[in-house]
Amino acid sequence: MNYMPGTASLIEDIDKKHLVLLRDGRTLIGYLRSIDQFANLVLHQTVERIHVGKKYGDIPRGIFVVRGENVVLLGEIDLEKESDTPLQQVSIEEILEEQRVEQQTKQEAEKLKVQALKERGLSIPRADTLDEY
Amino acid sequence: MDLLGDHEENLAERLSKMVIDNELEDPAIMRALQTRPVVQPGGLNSSIWDGSAVLRRIRGPLLAQEMPTVSVLEYALPQRPPQGPEEERDLSERALPRRSTSPIIGSPPVRAVPIGTPPKQMAVPNFNQQILCPKPVHVRAPMQQRYPAPYGERMSPNQLCGVTNSSLLGHPFPPSVTPVLSPIQRAQLLGGAQPGRMSPSQFARLSGFVNSPLASMNPKLLQGSVRQLIPPAPGFRAFFGAPPPATPPPAQQHPSCPGPHLQNLRPQSQMFRPDTTHLHPQHRRLLHQRQQQNRNQHRTINGAAGDRGGHRSNHQEQLRKDPYANLMLQREKDWVSKIQMMQLQSTDPYLDDFYYQNYFEKLEKLSAAEEVHGDGPKKERTKLITPQVAKLEHAYKPVQFEGSLGKLTVSSVNNPRKMIDAVITSRSEDDETKEKQVRDKRRKTLVTIEKTYSLLLDVEDYERRYLLSLEEERKALMEERKQKICDMYDNLRGKLPGQERPSDDHFMQIMCIRKGKRMVARILPFLSKEQAADILMATARNLPFLIKKDAQDEVLPCLLSPFSLLLYHLPSMTVTSLLQQLMNLPQSATAPAPANPHLTAVLQNKFGLSLLYLVLSRGEELQSSDTSTELMQDNQWTELMFMATRELLRIPQATLAKPVSTPANLISLFSRYVDRQKLNLLETKLQLVQGIR
Repeated sequence: MNYMPGTASLIEDIDKKHLVLLRDGRTLIGYLRSIDQFANLVLHQTVERIHVGKKYGDIPRGIFVVRGENVVLLGEIDLEKESDTPLQQVSIEEILEEQRVEQQTKQEAEKLKVQALKERGLSIPRADTLDEY
Repeated sequence: MDLLGDHEENLAERLSKMVIDNELEDPAIMRALQTRPVVQPGGLNSSIWDGSAVLRRIRGPLLAQEMPTVSVLEYALPQRPPQGPEEERDLSERALPRRSTSPIIGSPPVRAVPIGTPPKQMAVPNFNQQILCPKPVHVRAPMQQRYPAPYGERMSPNQLCGVTNSSLLGHPFPPSVTPVLSPIQRAQLLGGAQPGRMSPSQFARLSGFVNSPLASMNPKLLQGSVRQLIPPAPGFRAFFGAPPPATPPPAQQHPSCPGPHLQNLRPQSQMFRPDTTHLHPQHRRLLHQRQQQNRNQHRTINGAAGDRGGHRSNHQEQLRKDPYANLMLQREKDWVSKIQMMQLQSTDPYLDDFYYQNYFEKLEKLSAAEEVHGDGPKKERTKLITPQVAKLEHAYKPVQFEGSLGKLTVSSVNNPRKMIDAVITSRSEDDETKEKQVRDKRRKTLVTIEKTYSLLLDVEDYERRYLLSLEEERKALMEERKQKICDMYDNLRGKLPGQERPSDDHFMQIMCIRKGKRMVARILPFLSKEQAADILMATARNLPFLIKKDAQDEVLPCLLSPFSLLLYHLPSMTVTSLLQQLMNLPQSATAPAPANPHLTAVLQNKFGLSLLYLVLSRGEELQSSDTSTELMQDNQWTELMFMATRELLRIPQATLAKPVSTPANLISLFSRYVDRQKLNLLETKLQLVQGIR
């Protein structure tokens, strides 16, 4: 049923599989069961998908209630096209390990960069020390 | 079968007891009353979905009795014991009005409970409450085949994994399958117990009342139920990894379990909003179209199910058999939709949502034009018509108590309190530095531009308002419009008490700013001929200055279009003086100077050259149109032309600007004033002949 033509409304997305990207960087995949006027979402059979490089791993999470303001974007997943992806699914342990390794390398690179800048007397404010707004 | 025959008798008895009007007679309700105590939340580790305990409490004693006690109609009918006035008011305020005749929604009603509060009935199924007061709240219109899992509906996914008998293990026939409704119940539900809706939990309970033997007597039913029994599972893969064992065509199932096909159709027609006064008339047609499309899609996909991969038909199956579908009820969807629509209410849509309105107007014009040309099917475009709210004047008066001195110090949105006493102190002119003066002057110009722009937008809007207004108002509208145009012009030229406008200064200031130039281009069509000519003169007079200032913006060419339109209405006298201005020569030409910096600058600039061409072209037009025109007899014009051609010949081609367009009649113009040789020179230089590019 065409609820509100010409507008963006989540009502027609209900009961469909969605991929939701949150502000903290998490990717959730679940069936959108319920919404409200603030775009708070209720996701059913949710899976948190962690991507590292070409691999990804799913962590089943159950039911999620997401506060609307924390959603960056969300999109419907085409169930037919869902399976043809070049990405490779791995186990949870493996992907968590990969993620840890990736974080580590990033941190080290960042450290080197800050060190180099410090030697030159410059400093870049780090994203996590900045306010969000 | 013996078992079958036995139960058949019971069935008749049970069926007769199905409809119980008096609630006090209803054993289920009475029992529930007894087993009322609230469900204690379990330990830390038990999930809230340990509902099996809760369910059992309700189902258990009833099942023992083997009585289908509560009928669907009980739930469906609106005759409910009064739950208290607040519930009813709640519902009536929350639910969308059935048939609203007026498309205008007034301002939202004052609520004791703020808008964000969801309607009360949306609470997590409080089973006890619902049995007690079975309001027609949660009966689902689309009657999906809900076959609650035998192992308790609301088990957490983790628990489900542990359940041994679950179908996850591929066990097709779970022992205590609670199936289907009896045919009567089903007929009732589908036949349109209209506003009846049931929550999934209620439905589960309801079907739980009907005993398993009932289903087993009909093998087809059982088969159908198992087929559609897809237990909830934690991961998607698992969930959809267990495809139903067989997929008989929907038609077979029709008498006993109406196929998903039918179910699909049904919800769609039932979800058809009766109140479509808020929506565009095309909307209804589009809804049908869309439904058709969806159905066709489903059909084609199902039809080719043999060829396509299993997952595709699987997908369609799941759509229909998703036991968790429609957790969000139609009522709730409407409620959210209503809030969203309310947010779109506006007293003046052209003010609030200008681009949206314009865009859709354009689209409609396009489609109307298309239809006129071709007799093809009219493309339906849905249009959201937002209700227009009548503008209410709120005169807020702060609360005052009698007999008290002064007012209450309460600050609200409507009555903001003055927190800071800001006093404007004007500075004396002497103290300011030159820089500040310049800056202030520029700021004043910017303010003038903004004010004039507001006037311009209003004036541009008058046409639309004119069409919308009544006859009496039109005269007043025209007057307003005229007044505004005058104001605009005054703003442009700088309002002076006297008649004379000796100084172009004000205008120049405006023209130095990019926005000002664009604005002038937009204003020109509205001005009278004299006013517009005045503007044009001023521009031509100060062209080198403007060119210099425009070097960065390069916005002057935007003025060409209105100028050219204007030119074609100007008389020859004006054209002559215009040319004069362009070349910046005094009234009476004395000995021609060797180099004319003004004209040179003009020629080196795109806008300047284009404008010159326009003027010349216009002159030529005047000349050729009427042989005895003043232009020919005007010495001034001839002199000016001589000078112009001389200058054009003199200037090196490299520095010559590239004009926007070269009018065709320049050759004939020049031919009057220069000899053959020079004409050729001019031709090549200015690329007047079309072939040369």
